[in-house]
Amino acid sequence: MKISEIVEKAGLESLNAYEDADVPGVYVSDMASDVITGAKAGSMLVTLQTHKNFIAAANLVDAGMVVFAHDKRPAADVVELAGRVGLALFTTPDDTWTFALKLSDIGLR
Amino acid sequence: MGSCAHRWSLADIRSGYLVVEGCQHCGGRGTYFSTEVAAPVDEHQEGSHHWQYLISSQAVTFNMRCDSCGEAVDLGDVVGLMLCTCDDVECELGRLSADLGRDTSIYVALCSDSTHETNPSCVSEEGIAALNEYFNQQLREGRKKILVVPCKMCGNMDRCPGIVIADSGLIEL
Repeated sequence: MKISEIVEKAGLESLNAYEDADVPGVYVSDMASDVITGAKAGSMLVTLQTHKNFIAAANLVDAGMVVFAHDKRPAADVVELAGRVGLALFTTPDDTWTFALKLSDIGLR
Repeated sequence: MGSCAHRWSLADIRSGYLVVEGCQHCGGRGTYFSTEVAAPVDEHQEGSHHWQYLISSQAVTFNMRCDSCGEAVDLGDVVGLMLCTCDDVECELGRLSADLGRDTSIYVALCSDSTHETNPSCVSEEGIAALNEYFNQQLREGRKKILVVPCKMCGNMDRCPGIVIADSGLIEL
C-alpha cells in the first residue's frame, strides 16, 4: 500500500513533505534502540516518541514513514532533521492501539 | 573478510544501558555499555582519567554474523551509533558530510573513550566494514546511502552536536 493511500484511508495529518512510496509493513515502538534492531526498510514506524534520536534510528533503518500517535507533534528542529534525511512524518489523533486496529482494517499488515 | 559476499545479520542482541561518564581532569567523555539491572554510577580511575557518572539511557548492543559463511564480527568496541549533523568545515566529518550531500547519512560508531587516550585504535576496521555492509544491505534500492565511520574521525567528540541513538527522550513522551 502506498503512503498516499494510507494517509487518505487512515486520516493522517502530514507534518512535512513526502515522496510517495510503497509501505511493506508496520513496526510499533517507542524506543530508538529497538527500532534499529527490529524495523525493516520502507516500513511505517508508529510511536509516541518525538525525540531527535528516534529520527536518527528511523533514518538508519530507512523507514518509509513515521506516524506519531495520540496527536504527538515533534518540535520544529525534529521536523527539520527529518526533512534533511528525507523522512516523512505524520500524526494521528488515535492512540497507538486504535491506530493499529485502523491499519489492520484498511488492509495493512 | 575472505571471498564471501557477506549477508550480515545482527547477532547477540543485548539490551542494557549506555552509560556516559566525564573525566574531571581532562573533560573527556567515556562511554560504556552495561547489562546490569540498573546503570552503574560508581566513580573509577582508568589510566589518567578519573571517570564520574554523567548520564545513562537505555540502548542495545549487537554483533554481526554472516548468513552465508557464518563469519562473526565482534562489535564489543562499539558503544553506540551517532547520526552526524556536523557542518563544521574544520572537522573532517563536517567536510565529508558536505562533500557527500544529503543522500548519504553519516553515522559515527562510538568507542569507549572520546579522547582516545585509553583506546587509540578506536573501533576496529573490521567492525566498521561490517556495519557499513549491513546497514546498506537493509536499505531500499537507490534511495540513500549510509556511511559508518569511527569516532576518531570526529574533530571533537566532546563538542559534537550529533544525535546518539539511545533512549534518552523517553521521559519526554
